[in-house]
Amino acid sequence: MDLQTLVSILESGAALGILYALMAFGLAIVWTTLGIFNFAHGAFIATGAYLAWQFGNAAGFGLGYWAGAILAVLAMFALGVVVQTLLVRPFERHRDIVLLTVITTLAGASIITNLLNVIWGPRMKQIEPALGGEVTVGLVHVRSQELVMVVVVAATLFAIGWFLLRTPLGRSMRAVAQNREAAQLMGLDVRLLYALTFGLAAAVAGLAGVFIGSIRFMSPTMGDDPLQKALVVVILGGVARFTSSIYAAFAVGIIEAFSTYFVGLYWTPAVLFGLMIAVLIIKPEGLFGRRQRSV
Amino acid sequence: MTVLLEVVGLSGGYEPVQIFKDVDFAVEDGACAGLFGPNGHGKTTLLRTISGLIDPWSGSIVFDGIQLNTPGERRTRKSRNLNYDLLVRRRMDPKKVARAGLIHVAQGSPLFPELTVAETLSIAPAPARAGGRAVDPDLPFSLFPQLKERRHSKTRFLSGGERQMLAIACGMLAAPRLLILDEPTLGLSPKLRLELASAIHAIRQAGIPIILVDQDVGFLRDLVDTLHVFDHGSISRVLSKAEIPDHETLMADLFGGVH
Repeated sequence: MDLQTLVSILESGAALGILYALMAFGLAIVWTTLGIFNFAHGAFIATGAYLAWQFGNAAGFGLGYWAGAILAVLAMFALGVVVQTLLVRPFERHRDIVLLTVITTLAGASIITNLLNVIWGPRMKQIEPALGGEVTVGLVHVRSQELVMVVVVAATLFAIGWFLLRTPLGRSMRAVAQNREAAQLMGLDVRLLYALTFGLAAAVAGLAGVFIGSIRFMSPTMGDDPLQKALVVVILGGVARFTSSIYAAFAVGIIEAFSTYFVGLYWTPAVLFGLMIAVLIIKPEGLFGRRQRSV
Repeated sequence: MTVLLEVVGLSGGYEPVQIFKDVDFAVEDGACAGLFGPNGHGKTTLLRTISGLIDPWSGSIVFDGIQLNTPGERRTRKSRNLNYDLLVRRRMDPKKVARAGLIHVAQGSPLFPELTVAETLSIAPAPARAGGRAVDPDLPFSLFPQLKERRHSKTRFLSGGERQMLAIACGMLAAPRLLILDEPTLGLSPKLRLELASAIHAIRQAGIPIILVDQDVGFLRDLVDTLHVFDHGSISRVLSKAEIPDHETLMADLFGGVH
């Protein structure tokens, strides 16, 4: 393997990693805060992509790439709040909430995917990239759109980190995740914070969808594969911290890139899931995790 | 004096287990009520019910003129195979309770392990209601100077005593109308107990009504106006300050002494 190949494997791994970080973040924050696993996350990714296409594409409302992306992310926040209210909140005080919400969010995913199919049809679409062409930096050739993605995603993750660490609302969200009861006794509005957390996760999933839709193709089930990868990332990384799933996302992205090159595309999911099972056996709290959940 | 908190015929527990039954309990404005009782007899469950973390089964809780819950209502539901009693509970909302100014400092709470002391204080509840007293933002540090040095430590690195201080400080920032302290000295060294006792004295001096739970009558006797003895899920007697015996006498009364 020459240097050129190594560099391009690492580059594609890093690009995948940053995308996985974005997708895993939503799953992780919902899991740590609400204590449930959201199977509709993949459907959120697809919905974000279709909304961005509808708002931005000339065949839709034709508002352009950036306006489409921003409107899609805002709409996804609202959709997240609605889904949480309808599918999660009714079971909040139920003792089997984890199991119940597995079923309800799976149902939600199925309904959303079919709605996408009905509204936009099963034919592949693509969001027109914000920037066409390629950029070469040293040995690295990147599509400009991938560069845009890396910059926007990195900025988004930093903004979210700042929000969670520095603002009163972000701190309250972390507080509810760490100790729901103490937060209630402090008079925090737990219901509102749950809805906002779910909305934030959906908005971030929507953003991931926008980028997947402009780098690959869109279909109503385009979120299924990313959901699986995000699950692997969350389990590998553990959820002790906001940053642990980011490290794990890069690890998964680079492992995937190497495995695609050496083992082949079709065996790559098997490699990743094998790794996940090994981590679950050896270090169940995740590679970067601690034995407790918190943000 | 006016009655601040009035609990009438309150029953509750963790379904299907009833923990306490027909509890009548009142706290006057400005008073410090002690709650004493052995482990596992339901004191904490009672207080968790009052602050809305769990729903009461029946009875009423009135705080500062506000009805915090409405009593559950029994209905009979008929179906083809069986008729059964259905208890319709009126849910409590802990947020409403806290915002009315009833602040519950839970027993041995780990608080928010990954938040620093300063971060925790920054999300402490705003003073209850409009017209509530303004609160000095430095109050936590004047009450517990130790917290000032630990300002930037995460809560999980605090000692049990420091965590308890932080919990009480957060409660005080809300300018509470009534402060519930559930075994604040649980597992603390005698030195820390003394320190907490003087802080609780200071809070009393500020005129804030308190419900104080402890296992040590000696500790309670110095601080409280009335002592409610809680035993087997209900309040078996209420003693005024003068009537409070020492720890050994009360324990002997409750459990039978050594003759």
